[in-house]
Amino acid sequence: MKKLLLLLLLCCLIPALCQAETLKIGLMCPLTGKWASEGHDMKNIVSLLVEERNNLGGVQGKTIELIVEDDAGDPRTAALAAQKLSSAEVVAVIGTYGSAVTEASQSIFDEAGIVQIATGSTSVRLTEKELPLFFRTCPRDDAQGLAAAEAIAKRGFKKVAILHDNSSYAKGLAEESRNELKKLGVGVIFFDALTPGERDYNAILTKLKTADPDLIFFTGYYPETGMLLRQKKEMGWNVAMMGGDAANHQDLVKIAGVDAAKGYFFVSPPLPQDLNSKAAKDFLASYKEKYKSEPVSVWAVLAGDAYKAIESAFALKHSDAKSIAGYLHKLSGLQGFSGDLGFDAKGDRIGKFYRTYTVNGEGKFVIENE
Amino acid sequence: MEQFLQQLLNGIAVGGIYALVALGYTMVYGVLKLINFAHGDLFTIGAYLGLTLLVSAGIAGALPLFAAILLVFIMVALFVALIGFLLERTAYRPLRSAGRLSAVVSALGASIFFQNAIMLIYEPRVYVFPDFLRPTFTISLFGFTFPGIRLFIVGVSILLMLLLWAFIQKTRVGTAIQAVAIDQDAARLVGINVNKIISLVFLIGPGLGGIAGLMVGLYYGQIDFTMGWGYGLKAFIAAILGGIGNIPGAMLGGFLLGIIEALAAGYISMAWKDAIAFFVLIVILIVRPTGILGERTAEKL
Repeated sequence: MKKLLLLLLLCCLIPALCQAETLKIGLMCPLTGKWASEGHDMKNIVSLLVEERNNLGGVQGKTIELIVEDDAGDPRTAALAAQKLSSAEVVAVIGTYGSAVTEASQSIFDEAGIVQIATGSTSVRLTEKELPLFFRTCPRDDAQGLAAAEAIAKRGFKKVAILHDNSSYAKGLAEESRNELKKLGVGVIFFDALTPGERDYNAILTKLKTADPDLIFFTGYYPETGMLLRQKKEMGWNVAMMGGDAANHQDLVKIAGVDAAKGYFFVSPPLPQDLNSKAAKDFLASYKEKYKSEPVSVWAVLAGDAYKAIESAFALKHSDAKSIAGYLHKLSGLQGFSGDLGFDAKGDRIGKFYRTYTVNGEGKFVIENE
Repeated sequence: MEQFLQQLLNGIAVGGIYALVALGYTMVYGVLKLINFAHGDLFTIGAYLGLTLLVSAGIAGALPLFAAILLVFIMVALFVALIGFLLERTAYRPLRSAGRLSAVVSALGASIFFQNAIMLIYEPRVYVFPDFLRPTFTISLFGFTFPGIRLFIVGVSILLMLLLWAFIQKTRVGTAIQAVAIDQDAARLVGINVNKIISLVFLIGPGLGGIAGLMVGLYYGQIDFTMGWGYGLKAFIAAILGGIGNIPGAMLGGFLLGIIEALAAGYISMAWKDAIAFFVLIVILIVRPTGILGERTAEKL
């Protein structure tokens, strides 16, 4: 009987002893459901980085243990996943993608005292709650308007016509940009919406032409952008045109034609393949070696940035949630895979994240160097 | 003034396509009193089929460009006409004695079937006609510049409509179609094969729809599986506006709708242009419930 008890005690102790040697972090991502491809990218990226770090001997002499949970891109599943990760006693969690999904898990992690770094959740209100342990590596919805306004001001445009397509995304970006442009002293001389999904935008372009802008900023998606560029060219009207990250699709040039698309520019988060930094290049090389492809979604790459932030906290001997959060709130200038990484007091990412892409003479998107 | 004329031209160019699509609605309605909701999807099939034949089947590479496009137009018209013929046989003819409501529901079902079939055969993404297929010459006339291809589209639309009108008015078969439109039983009594005439109508209407689809694909360059819905709806409105069942009415309605839209976008509000166009439609229907040219109900087509 005594032997049996001893054995039981050992059984309990061994995992506990082992646990002391690892730093546990969680990854919550959509491995099934409509965002499954982003979720798999997130898992690939983070597990690759953890593996690399452990091969180099881990941090603080401990190995990093990654626990992955599927949230299916669904708030209810996310709440369950969050509870599982909490009972696995992770110190920090990366994820997740959709804003509503992240929101469902926020308070669970907060109550369990776990640091959460969301990766693709751009909804403004997530950080307005000012939860002390919540961060995100993606920009907020209102950051793009500011980036667009700055790109416009930098290029010296004076009379901007803003056009959206009445979708909540494009309308939000259009309104945000109008406000930011006002602050920068750039005139917005026209503001209206077109009907998405149509083929003929000549009537709209004719009307725009009477307003005589020096830049058209259409905040909607690439199919309509392509049609506008093409029909503008056919009208013989050489006015500059720009867009937001919904225009970041190679079909844009196919629809517009290379001639009409030349000189078009848009603001968008950069992909690592477009960045020159050493962190981005090294990461891309090992990603290609392991998975034989390039990451396609920038939102998945942001999970790598989240991991990078946690790892740097570990490296400085921050190993409980409170001190990690304290460190992250002051972090700035850390080299991430999508540019410099840092967080403000609310947990939002700081620094310039959006970059400007221009279509060149061969119809390729070229990132503008800062 | 210059803007007004430019918007007028924009409206006519868009209206020409509405009118061409509206012909298919109006012919079928004139003969069968059936609103063929699948017509917009036959239009989409025309665009996809044209792209497949020109690019994937390599016709554009095998022949000189003009000959290739002409050949593909004929092939698309024939193929879509065949689909229309089969559609009538399978979805409409068995329901002909079952009342109009059943046939309309069947038409909606056919529309959903076609749209999903296109989505599953080709993926649910935007397709683009390659650049070399799309002619881009511009014409300058009286100080206006516009793409020559738009003029061409309007010209072809008007030509097809005139041919169709002449066919209905001047030939023996056309007279038979008119007879069936007025009274099927009486037409049968004078020895007209009503089933054959209805099949013929379902060859002509969808054939024209397929041609319109390919023209839209070639000019605008971008097609997706839902495009038929928007054009179908607008063309349906155009047919009603002009007086459904009436060929000159469909032409008039199509051009009118295009012009109202362009002027509404140009002078009132771009975001509200559809709302304004539909408001005008409501007003016209309140004043003239039969549409602009739809007065003599006994002599439709």
